[in-house]
Amino acid sequence: MNYKTFTAGLCTLACLTTQAGESQLTDNTPTLTALTHATLILAPGSELSNATLLLENNRIKAILPENNIPQNAFEINLSGLRIYPGFIDPYAEYGIELPQNSAKAQPPVYNIKRIGGNAANGAIHAEKEWFSKVYPDPKAAENWMNNGFTSVQSAHLDGIFQGTAVTLSLADKKANEIIYNARGKQFMAFNKGSSPQDYPTSLMGSIALIRQTFSDARWYNDSLAKVKDYPDDVKAPDFNIALERLRNIKEQGVIFNSGNLNSELRAAKLLKQQGLKVQLLGSGEEYARISELAAYHPQLILPLNFPAAPDVSNETAAANVTLSELRHWERAPANPVAVAAANIPFALTQHGIEANAFWPRLKMAVAAGLTEKQALTALTTQAAELAGIANVAGKLAPGYMADLVITQGNPFVDGKIVSVWLQGKEHALRPKSYRWHGDYKLRFAQMELDLSLTMPDSTADKSRGSFISGDKELAITAIDADEQRLNFTSDLSSAGLPGISRFTLWRDNEGIRGRLLLADGKVEPVNGQIVAMPTPATAHETPKDVNYLGHQVTPIQAFGVDSLPVTEKLHIQNATVWTSAAAGILQHTDVLIANGKIERIGQQLATPSHYQVIDANGKYLTAGIIDEHSHIAINGGVNEGSEAVTAEVRIGDVIDPNAIAIYRSLAGGVTTANLLHGSANPIGGQAQVIQLRWGETAEGLKFKEANKGIKFALGENVKQSNWGENYNKRFPQSRMGVQTLFTDTFNAALDYDARRQEYAELRSRDKRKTLEPRPDYRMETVAEVVKGERDVHIHSYVQSEILMFMRLAEAYDFKVKTFTHVLEGYKVAPELAAHGAGASTFADWWAYKFEVYDAIPQNACLLQQHGVLTSINSDDNEMQRRLNQEAAKSIKYCNMSAEDAWKMVTINPAKQLGVDDVTGSIEVGKQADLVLWDHNPLSAYAKTEAVWINGKRYFDRQQDAQKTQAIAEEREALIQKVLHSSEERKRGEQSALEQEPMWHCDTEYNAWNRQKEHAL
Amino acid sequence: MNIIQRTLFLTLLSTCCSTAFAYDMVPAAKPQAATLLKNATVHTVLNGTLPHTDLLLENGKIKAIGSHLTDASATVVDLTDKHVYPGLIALDTTLGLTEISMVRSTNDTSDVGDDNPQLLAAAAYNPDSELLPTVRANGITHAQSTPRGDGLAGQSVLVNLDAWTIEDATHAATAQYHLYWPELPRVYADSERTKKAAEAYQQAVKRIKQHFNAAYRYQLSITGKPHQKEDIRWQALEPLFKGNGKLFVHADQQQAIEEAAALARQYQLPLVIVGGYDAWRLADMLNELHAAVIYTHCLDLPERTDDPIAQAFKIPGLLKKVGIPFAIGFSDDWDSRNLPLAAAQTVAWGLTQEEALKAITYDAAQLLGANGLGAIVEGYDASLVVSDGDILDPMTSKIDALYIDGRQVDLNNRHRQLYQKYLKR
Repeated sequence: MNYKTFTAGLCTLACLTTQAGESQLTDNTPTLTALTHATLILAPGSELSNATLLLENNRIKAILPENNIPQNAFEINLSGLRIYPGFIDPYAEYGIELPQNSAKAQPPVYNIKRIGGNAANGAIHAEKEWFSKVYPDPKAAENWMNNGFTSVQSAHLDGIFQGTAVTLSLADKKANEIIYNARGKQFMAFNKGSSPQDYPTSLMGSIALIRQTFSDARWYNDSLAKVKDYPDDVKAPDFNIALERLRNIKEQGVIFNSGNLNSELRAAKLLKQQGLKVQLLGSGEEYARISELAAYHPQLILPLNFPAAPDVSNETAAANVTLSELRHWERAPANPVAVAAANIPFALTQHGIEANAFWPRLKMAVAAGLTEKQALTALTTQAAELAGIANVAGKLAPGYMADLVITQGNPFVDGKIVSVWLQGKEHALRPKSYRWHGDYKLRFAQMELDLSLTMPDSTADKSRGSFISGDKELAITAIDADEQRLNFTSDLSSAGLPGISRFTLWRDNEGIRGRLLLADGKVEPVNGQIVAMPTPATAHETPKDVNYLGHQVTPIQAFGVDSLPVTEKLHIQNATVWTSAAAGILQHTDVLIANGKIERIGQQLATPSHYQVIDANGKYLTAGIIDEHSHIAINGGVNEGSEAVTAEVRIGDVIDPNAIAIYRSLAGGVTTANLLHGSANPIGGQAQVIQLRWGETAEGLKFKEANKGIKFALGENVKQSNWGENYNKRFPQSRMGVQTLFTDTFNAALDYDARRQEYAELRSRDKRKTLEPRPDYRMETVAEVVKGERDVHIHSYVQSEILMFMRLAEAYDFKVKTFTHVLEGYKVAPELAAHGAGASTFADWWAYKFEVYDAIPQNACLLQQHGVLTSINSDDNEMQRRLNQEAAKSIKYCNMSAEDAWKMVTINPAKQLGVDDVTGSIEVGKQADLVLWDHNPLSAYAKTEAVWINGKRYFDRQQDAQKTQAIAEEREALIQKVLHSSEERKRGEQSALEQEPMWHCDTEYNAWNRQKEHAL
Repeated sequence: MNIIQRTLFLTLLSTCCSTAFAYDMVPAAKPQAATLLKNATVHTVLNGTLPHTDLLLENGKIKAIGSHLTDASATVVDLTDKHVYPGLIALDTTLGLTEISMVRSTNDTSDVGDDNPQLLAAAAYNPDSELLPTVRANGITHAQSTPRGDGLAGQSVLVNLDAWTIEDATHAATAQYHLYWPELPRVYADSERTKKAAEAYQQAVKRIKQHFNAAYRYQLSITGKPHQKEDIRWQALEPLFKGNGKLFVHADQQQAIEEAAALARQYQLPLVIVGGYDAWRLADMLNELHAAVIYTHCLDLPERTDDPIAQAFKIPGLLKKVGIPFAIGFSDDWDSRNLPLAAAQTVAWGLTQEEALKAITYDAAQLLGANGLGAIVEGYDASLVVSDGDILDPMTSKIDALYIDGRQVDLNNRHRQLYQKYLKR
């Protein structure tokens, strides 16, 4: 042994001896403790002043209003202080001990390595019970304790089904002692988190997976019940613990983290559909669609994620700030106020922000009008309910946990938390001397002076103070304090006491007492009282910061509306009416509109009473434009491009009613659009037809009368031709394989359908003894297609694939509704016509990829000449607003008649979407979806003047001009407000309002890391 | 119809309906005789619209404009009820440099690095591209074939769209250097990402400034010291520094344009902003530099959510209002054939039809320093388009004939061939 290791060894021994020993003796120290003379906030709105809280062990033993404490209790005098129930954060990740992460797999990952009898998808951990991983983490606990929290509901926040949360105390004790509720809520999110599996890449994929998983759980547990009842007849399904653990999900409840307001509403709808209570982690944007949200009767956990002020410091930065960001910055602190006003119960959480931002933000909310009672409810009783611990925490009551918050002053205004008590043990947050912080009135030597003391929050800062005598301020020095005693000196010669006076003060139940040592050595008694602390300020009843400059419109962004348009009664006079119907183009014609419908068409009609007249002389009236192929107004990805078949995903789940594209396209005369899944896989997702009712909710945009549709795709995109080197594994990689994949999937769907049918037809006695075929939304949707109950819109380019798919459909005895893009449709126009398929094409796109090298701008003409129902689509946010011009190109390239060209963007696509009996032409009885143009609508010089949907004017050119002006003014006003605001008011979270890219068919986007993955 | 007219008509008919392949579309030969276009509505661009006007084309130039012109030896074409326009000039295209953008082997648009002022579009230009005949069928006679890339991306070339070789195709113009200003950093929800984006932008701008500094030092050095070793990059910039070229800076946002303008001012470089969405906000700065703008967003969405919904359409009108010289471009390859529509789109939003037309003819030529092009003026190039109706509006525009330097160009193309073929099915 050399010298070095010898000394090191010594040191180890020495270090050991300085540590606390592992005592083997019984600890019988009495724990009865009386916190006396305090103001007790028993529960929100229930206060008891000058009272005692009696604690024993880790619980509250009694509330004693008179301070008559048992003689064996140890007294701690808390006069001037307030005791709140400990706060509860119902949404946290705390005290969960995790194994080391394994290395991440390289994408694409179609199947995961499944260890154990768990779920098939890597984002589903429903079986996890996080109590089994609880281990206290004193360092992390401080994040919550510093704000007055004493317990949290916690889970590892990862994945879609995240497992059962545990509610635990923040105390540094054995795991068994700190668990308050071992089985809390199931935590859920749309974000798939760290799952290496590709599926789901999109928001709609996540929603579909959740829907399928809930269904699987019902099926699995029902099946297990059958097995139990009829063990001889029913074979058990494959073991799956994730599904088993979801058996009692209704009783257990879910807390859903959705990410933003749109998704919050989606989560609410999804939970409601599953018959679950709607309990959501809030987005902080609730105010923007509060009544829509309130209709779900949700309970919320609100984060205080107020945004930082947008950077408007220079012109360029300011130019790129959106009105929605400015409005959100201004309005976010009042979000809890809006939630409270809508009578939505809510708790608060620290989630999503830095711990030290919590109280400043909460005070901003209080300043914006949140009452103290509402705030306290959110921190205590409501949080306790959501965390499943309302029987032990959230109130000061006998039998409840001794989890307390001790404050000096009112914490919702200017008070401070001095300590928290966790299970009967104090954890100080401020130096003991902080008790002296405040204002006092002192009497000594025949004078009365006011003393003001500023005591430090932490030991690092210095104490300060002064006497006030009239308008004079006399400094005090050498301040030295502990909890009960305070020493200082002061030169009071100007007040008539020569030399330096030395004070010693202490506090008791009556107030302040002490003595003063004068310069000549004489002692004078001092007495006095506390002025500022026992009566803490209460929160302002009328908030200060309510002069909002931002307009509260829907959606909460530029061009949002104050209110939805009303159904008009109109007499449109003397227009050139392009009917898109047998009547053709009518000159000098009147149209009457009422009840959302076209009532009459004729010449020189009389104006019925209460009809508004529009003089349309020299103007053109047409039906609203319809786009068969659009990807506007979609959130979280347009492709669930992970697997080759994803028929279960629904565009209808991810409609974005905030999309400015709705308004812009509306201004271009578009009233109806078919929102399609992208073209990343042969069988994509379900389509959603919308009407461009700007200002409506996501549900309100849906065109209920439209046929059910689905997007299929062929060619380069689905065989991953342009996805990059990593993407050459997924079948199919050739057009041959595409055919096989369809055939195989159709067979599987038919087989599925037959098995389901067979089961459905069983007598109920036999059903009880028979294993139900697992409901599979993917197969169910494909079966709908094969049975002709769901229209196919199939992305296609070259003639081989078009023919292939037509023949395949014929073999399965269904009709292809529409080939979309279909740029080589002209080569097989007779076959398309014979099959009865529609075609929806680009006017003149070509040469951007190899499969469109034979595309020609005469395609539409040739298709039409052969009798194919032909339309022009956009697949593009910009082109959508000029579809009238795109239609005109067929006049240029191949002499189509103006009437036929116009039909390609109105009645023809209406037929392709199954809405031709409702819209698409100007005929009596049809929905009044109308556009008024200032020129021939096919001209590049034409502008819309007004656009109606269902007789409601959703766009008006003049109103648009006014709005444009108002937007500019409001922006400037809000920018000034930002510039004038304090640094404190400017601080906040990075804006979560980041824009998603514009979608095309071939946008492959990972909704979870917000990256475009690759081009298709 | 006299015999000559009839012959010509038949010739037109046969070219239009032939089903030959693209390589059979032979560049038109220089005509033996002069051509006399009779009785057309002539959109001169510089001198208004002249009804019932004759044009005499000789030796590739417009020899005379007037009524009742005669020339016994000329081929006479009756253009009653037809419109004649100067050939349209498509700025900022990648025509001839790319065939199918998603097929990598067909792309010659950009190279590695941000210090490539020496790259010449002319070295890669493919006059037999299948795209070209489809573009000229819409009335476009000339195009600026432009390299893409980061930073200093190379030099574009002005070409006519009916030629055997690049040498035949090249039209005299000023040297055109392209600088792609880095994209301004965005703000992301992830602050780390925001920071990185900001740093990357600063870095890219710094590199550009360093390149210009290096190029400037090089210019000083070659005047002072004859034995300076050649640097192919900075040598290529010599004409620009000597005032014999223009710097085309591709930039849209105000800050980018301002920074580009500062650079141009520092080295006294003639400046053209390409893109130019925010240029109208910077009239004082740009006009002081005598800078011009190629506005390329006529058929785009507004750049910003809060912008007026028709902002992209209105900007040419705004540029006019603040007096910044501009032309209209439509930056694309195959889609550049929609240039007339792009110009038409501005008409409902602030330009007159005449101004819109000028922005894709004369103004475009001027901007490239191509004199004698882009208007119907005596002595100008006989590059003309004959249309049935208003050339800007697709609803009415039907191109009947196209002349480049007096040569009547075949209007057939891949699309017409396939159309004709499948009409026969």
